[in-house]
Amino acid sequence: MSPPTNGQPQRRKIRVLIAKVGLDGHDVGARVVARGLLDAGMEVIYTGLRRTNEDVVRAAIEEDVDWVGVSILSGAHRVLLPRLRKLLDESGANDIRILAGGIIPQEDIPELQACGVDKIFLSGTPIAEIVDYLVKETKHV
Amino acid sequence: MNVIKPPGTFASAQTEPTSDVALESMRWKKETLDPAAAGIKDRKKFVTDTGLPVEPLYTPAHLEQINFDYLRDLGFPGEYPFTRGDRPGMNRTDPFVISAYSGFGDAEACNRRFRKLVEIGTEQILVALDLPTQCGYDSDHEMATAEVGNVGVAIDTLADMEILFDGIPADSIKRIGTLGNSIGPIVLALYAALGEKQGIAWSRYTVNLQNDPLKEYIARGTQILPPAPAAKLATDAVAWCVEHAPNWSPMTVCVNHINAGGAGSSMGTAIALSNARHYINLLLAQGYTIDQVAPLLHMFPDERHDFFVSVANLRALRRIWARMMKEQYGATKPEAMACRTTVYGHGQEALAEPLNNIPRTAFGTLAYVLGGASYVYLAGYDEAVSTPNENSARVALRTLQILANEHGFTDAIDPLGGSYYVETLTAQGERQILDGMAQIEQIGGALAAISTGFARRVMTEGAVRRQRAIDSGDRPWVTVNKWPEKPDVPNTAFRGDAQAETRQMARLARVKSTRDQKRVKTALAEVERATAEDRNVVPSVLEAVRAYVTVGEIVDIWRRQFGAFVPSTDF
Repeated sequence: MSPPTNGQPQRRKIRVLIAKVGLDGHDVGARVVARGLLDAGMEVIYTGLRRTNEDVVRAAIEEDVDWVGVSILSGAHRVLLPRLRKLLDESGANDIRILAGGIIPQEDIPELQACGVDKIFLSGTPIAEIVDYLVKETKHV
Repeated sequence: MNVIKPPGTFASAQTEPTSDVALESMRWKKETLDPAAAGIKDRKKFVTDTGLPVEPLYTPAHLEQINFDYLRDLGFPGEYPFTRGDRPGMNRTDPFVISAYSGFGDAEACNRRFRKLVEIGTEQILVALDLPTQCGYDSDHEMATAEVGNVGVAIDTLADMEILFDGIPADSIKRIGTLGNSIGPIVLALYAALGEKQGIAWSRYTVNLQNDPLKEYIARGTQILPPAPAAKLATDAVAWCVEHAPNWSPMTVCVNHINAGGAGSSMGTAIALSNARHYINLLLAQGYTIDQVAPLLHMFPDERHDFFVSVANLRALRRIWARMMKEQYGATKPEAMACRTTVYGHGQEALAEPLNNIPRTAFGTLAYVLGGASYVYLAGYDEAVSTPNENSARVALRTLQILANEHGFTDAIDPLGGSYYVETLTAQGERQILDGMAQIEQIGGALAAISTGFARRVMTEGAVRRQRAIDSGDRPWVTVNKWPEKPDVPNTAFRGDAQAETRQMARLARVKSTRDQKRVKTALAEVERATAEDRNVVPSVLEAVRAYVTVGEIVDIWRRQFGAFVPSTDF
């Protein structure tokens, strides 16, 4: 934690890990969101392509993030996202929350939310909407 | 090597216009347009996605500004510099090839779709492979979890190809092929072995591959190895075709994904042409001539934001290609100077109200048709969401047939040639592309554009710029920033057959246990030797494929010898 400034304790910035899991190589959306969150004053780390869930969990814990934002466009979300939640929980990182972005059919959304994915932003969502959500939902802000 | 400058173009761009038309145009603007437009706020930003300002009116004064010279800059279709077309009669005598990119599930399920596509008039099928296949993993590999048959069909061995093309002889349609960007020599071998199995000589059918690994590092993301060996393996496929199947098209150098990812069509074309030069230089260094190599290469241009820029981009690309081949590489055969183009029609497709993507993709594709593309695909209206379902695939195909046959779109050659606007955009786009190529040349060429992060920066900056233009409304987009609707991925989106993965695993296990193990071992050892000795790998890969060696087994050899690529974490 940084030292207090002007007598006020400096608030911790929102920290987000943007992740690509699986083989899907389309990461423009992930990079645009990463850049948008950075511009909004958050601390953002990007995993790069083709990570396993294990890689993502390790990075999330090491980087002490509040959120993992997973971008998936290949249709593998129904398997990969619940697994990510389970792995985070098993690693004691229940406080790290999951956002998903990309192409996800409506009927899958309740199922994913039941498995512990906080929120799903479909492709085409304005960056401001994601920023607002994170500011509102992050506990320490 | 120097980047060639088009002679004369823009020579007088800086001088004050003095012609009657130029003076009259200025007068019209001042006396007629400006008073009428006074106080009316621009309804949008009048600028192309490539960053060119769009003026309200184009006149012969603009042709003066670009120093337009008909014979030098345009010439005639099928003749140097091929601006008006790569073929003499274009669509009148040699219509663009109606093409489909399709694949899902396992070979059995996919074969049924292919038969349907052929039945309704598809002339070329490019197989969409699933991500494990594209990335060199067999269906039973851990990395293939939840991805088998997902965004394309799973191909592990030649056995899958035999089923995939059952009842579709290789020579029954104009071209067959696939992308296979990071596994070029393997997919080439699979298609060569397929012909052998079907008893059809290589000279009697045409295989088209994308086989352009360099753009994967920049935009598409199926890269497996470091860029330099990946490019070398890709050129092995081209070299093999020069020797054994010169009628095939084993490499299609892509702007498509680079533009879609953010570069814009001009810088995207510059990057793609620099990639093409890298491949060509590798082939020339092996002793092949430009006249042997260039006719086997295609380009895959892309512009999906601005209709007229799209037409202009195709024309500029053909002109630059012709000049590059002739003046820089010393090509003497017209086939080496005529740039054949593959295009994939998109519009700015939206997730909301997907049926609106039908007119969007039709307009986007019309631009390619008017620009003179040779092989034309069209995205399914649901393609932003999923693998096209049978209905959207049919609509895409019918749209292509309508473009080819109705409205007179294909009657006169290069129908927008001579338009003050299109000729100006063609010259401006050409200038942007040549500047981009010079920039890449300066940093050390195609590989350096990847390793220095140059290409990635271009991509991210472009993507962020586009997102801002959408968020701010500078670039209007119906149902997104105008009359906005919530994005929606409908439940009717195509879902792969859940049993496809199980069937695929079972088939792979069966093939692995029944093949001639001794032949497999010998073949793999020869792939390993050919790779280590820096020989052309295709003959050894072909023998391996014939022995039902898997895609993953071959790629594993390359991973061991060359190492894996390191993903960038920049954004």
